[in-house]
Amino acid sequence: MTETTFNLSLPISGMTCASCVSHVESALKELPGVRDVVVNLATNKASLNYDPQKVKLADMQRAVKDVGYAVPTSELTLDIRGMTCGSCVAHVEEALNELDGVQAAVVNLGLGTARVTHIPGVVSTSGMKRAVRDVGYEASERSQGADALDRERQAREDEIKRQGRNLLISGSIGLVVMIGTFYEMLGPFKTFVPEFLSYKWVIGLLTSPIVFGPGRQFFTNSWRGLKHGVTDMNLLYATGIGAAYGIAVINTIFPGAGFGGEGATFFESAALLTTFIILGRWLEALTRGRTSEAIRRLMKLQPKIARIIRNGKEEEIPAEEVESGDLILVRPGEGIPVDGVVAEGYSAVDESMLTGESLPVEKKGGDNVIGGTLNKTGAFKFTATRVGKDTALGQIIKLVEDAQASKAPIQKLADWVAGHFILGVHILAVLVFIFWFFSGYQRFFDPSSRFMLSPASLGEIGVFGFSLLLSVTVLVISCPCAVGLATPSAMMAGAGKAAENGVLFKGAEAIEKASKLQTIVFDKTGTLTKGEPSVTDLITDSESGVWSSETSLSTPEAQLLVLRLAAVAEKNSEHPLGEAIVNSAESRGLLVGAAESFNSIPGHGVEAQVEGRAVLLGNRRLMREREVDFAKLMVQAEALEADGKTVMFVAFDGQPAGLIAVADTLKEFTFDAIQRLHKLGIETAMITGDNLRTAQAIARQVGIHRILAEVLPQDKAEEVKKLQAAGKSVAMVGDGVNDAPALAQADVGMAIGSGTDVAKETGDVILIRDDIRDVVVALEVARATMRKVKQNLFWAFFYNTLSIPLAAGLLYPATSLIISPELAGLLMAVSSITVTLNTLLLKGFKPSIRRDDRPQSGVGLSEPLLTPVVASGD
Amino acid sequence: MEYKQIEKEVVRRSALIYLPISVGATLLFFLAASLVGGYPPVAKIGGVVWVGLLSLIVSMPIVTSRVKHYVGTVARNHE
Repeated sequence: MTETTFNLSLPISGMTCASCVSHVESALKELPGVRDVVVNLATNKASLNYDPQKVKLADMQRAVKDVGYAVPTSELTLDIRGMTCGSCVAHVEEALNELDGVQAAVVNLGLGTARVTHIPGVVSTSGMKRAVRDVGYEASERSQGADALDRERQAREDEIKRQGRNLLISGSIGLVVMIGTFYEMLGPFKTFVPEFLSYKWVIGLLTSPIVFGPGRQFFTNSWRGLKHGVTDMNLLYATGIGAAYGIAVINTIFPGAGFGGEGATFFESAALLTTFIILGRWLEALTRGRTSEAIRRLMKLQPKIARIIRNGKEEEIPAEEVESGDLILVRPGEGIPVDGVVAEGYSAVDESMLTGESLPVEKKGGDNVIGGTLNKTGAFKFTATRVGKDTALGQIIKLVEDAQASKAPIQKLADWVAGHFILGVHILAVLVFIFWFFSGYQRFFDPSSRFMLSPASLGEIGVFGFSLLLSVTVLVISCPCAVGLATPSAMMAGAGKAAENGVLFKGAEAIEKASKLQTIVFDKTGTLTKGEPSVTDLITDSESGVWSSETSLSTPEAQLLVLRLAAVAEKNSEHPLGEAIVNSAESRGLLVGAAESFNSIPGHGVEAQVEGRAVLLGNRRLMREREVDFAKLMVQAEALEADGKTVMFVAFDGQPAGLIAVADTLKEFTFDAIQRLHKLGIETAMITGDNLRTAQAIARQVGIHRILAEVLPQDKAEEVKKLQAAGKSVAMVGDGVNDAPALAQADVGMAIGSGTDVAKETGDVILIRDDIRDVVVALEVARATMRKVKQNLFWAFFYNTLSIPLAAGLLYPATSLIISPELAGLLMAVSSITVTLNTLLLKGFKPSIRRDDRPQSGVGLSEPLLTPVVASGD
Repeated sequence: MEYKQIEKEVVRRSALIYLPISVGATLLFFLAASLVGGYPPVAKIGGVVWVGLLSLIVSMPIVTSRVKHYVGTVARNHE
């Protein structure tokens, strides 16, 4: 065999000096089949000659990696047109994966895209497009943003128009063919139909433009694929239509050939089969685009025009041309084009489309604004901080697109089945033909045989015609398009539905895994709780001598006095507990003035002179040292401590005044979320660095029974691993920053409250709002999506499992009925439409929380999240 | 070796394998139909054509993809 060698220019990253060059060169030279290696440090490239029989590109990558450098990769998305089923997906993926330099190609049938991870320079975009074209499909580079939206919509509309036109031609002529074929059965209506329409050659003349016009696409597409060694659905159609048309022509020219004689035509089979297949294509084109509406809705939020101020003048430019640092003017009623910070002016902005916040949010100088939201009342200027793909909206769109373009494990299996199915069907068609030709016809043929749901008789059909009919029907009825559509269409709809509810899945695999979760571990601080201490209890000792001069004070007034004076004493303190007291006093409208004197007692508390009183504030030990007797309040103090709260003792002028309890409090919806998870059958656990007593107190309040307390941040992942080792499918919910290792370890990592900067988050699921109930939303959407996937796969496989034996003539010996090719075509179209419509039902799905009380929101970012959640300390 | 040359090589080598397979299947069918007897010539010829066509459709992609791997066509992207 001739030796085949190629020149290759391989990009290398990580080289800094001449020794790096020599390392890389030596590593590559050591590989068998690699010659003439020259590494260029300036261009970061290795030029070489290699023999693909002896060495693969992957070997070279590994060799480079082994010596500490890397071959950089990049990602490209291609729009693929002409794919109709799972086998098309397999063919396109195979064609791309075969290319040297392509590391992975993931094709999404629903979106009509291929995401290709490749080594730049080794494989070109035109090479990829050619590979796709060679196997019978069209490929173009995907454009970004609104342009991509327009092009996608245009492509879909073109396909709908094309197939609609084909349907109109084949449907109208097919109807005339039908009428002509069954002319003798028209009874009194015969007078309205010219007799010549029943002549065989006229029916043949009418059928030919259907087969060679609208039906031509199946022949050309299948031939193009076959030439390159691939079989797809078009081949099934082409063989079916071609065989039916061939039988009809032979029977017309040679009536004695055994295809039913003078009484049969079969032209109607070819005509109607083509019509029904095109009907299926048209309906699919109509419905398929609707599963990706989430992306379209998100993209529509972005205004197309921005009004920027340059050199003091207003200038309108396309939104995608705005650069970071540009000053942008927004008038009332206008959309905000990019993310930024208000520089001047005041207004209210409707952020409901992104945050779900129903009331407009006030914006003044220094406030953040988000691209895609709507300015309501005033005009303002803002400085662009994030533009293009970096905006909050851009990041969200990217995540949803990625999720929709990825593949769940269940989908990979379905695609594999669909990809190998067509070849299997052809083998089955040969076997069916051979059985009926050599055995079945002689044993079971009944001259009174008929087509199912048709008045047409098969009386004069011979052994070849009969066997061929059954063989062709098997080919037509076995089309696996429903199998190919089942999973991706549901995943796309599910990922979109989740995004509408503020939950971003990073991939289809995350959806599948989330649907199977058994245990959810919550980080305590910042996730279940607010992550910052606040005053929870105020207790005063009414019998204390401190109140002897304040007899007119009611208990609540006394409590507020204790709080106010404690706040004044703590005003200069930087201790978190002190801050909690000051915040609490201010939030109650108390005036927190300045202390006359202040002294911090490290590790114990503070003492201050406030309004003529000596205020002492601190722990039990401080009070003991200063001989302040808190015996009467000790029972309450211990009870508060048992609840995990930190108690601070307050004394005025050396006498006990009261207790202030401070604790990290639960977030508003924590209890509700945990109860809902329990109802879903999920085991919940809490992980925290706090001591067991504090952890137990919080767990008791929310109803969590499994507590993992005193766990250091670096050990959280280990705890998750232990749960997994016990056979549980575990999710970890955390803030995505200091919980990153645990989020990565879990089967599903959920980062909560990430706000608008979603791209930085660790985890498989991103909950944009700081609302823990979105964990329930994520689970419910994932379960609903997987339910839909399973339903779709059931219907697709059920249809094929049931229809193939029927088409092969399993019931014929008992019923003398066979399925005609055109009925098979109709059933095939119905099966894929059933699957698509079933998926569309997911659009009506509402998570239980939305059904119960929360208003429906947009993508779902809540106002507090525009400033990041305080990182937990545990 | 150029990409087009490799493609031609794949097509040539594949055809040398799948054509004999299809013809073999066709001959087998013809032989069986003749041995069983009683089939009109149209049925025999039609059967031969149909079995030959399906055999070709089944063997062509299997053989072509195997040969493609064997020949090691990796030139598509080397423009």
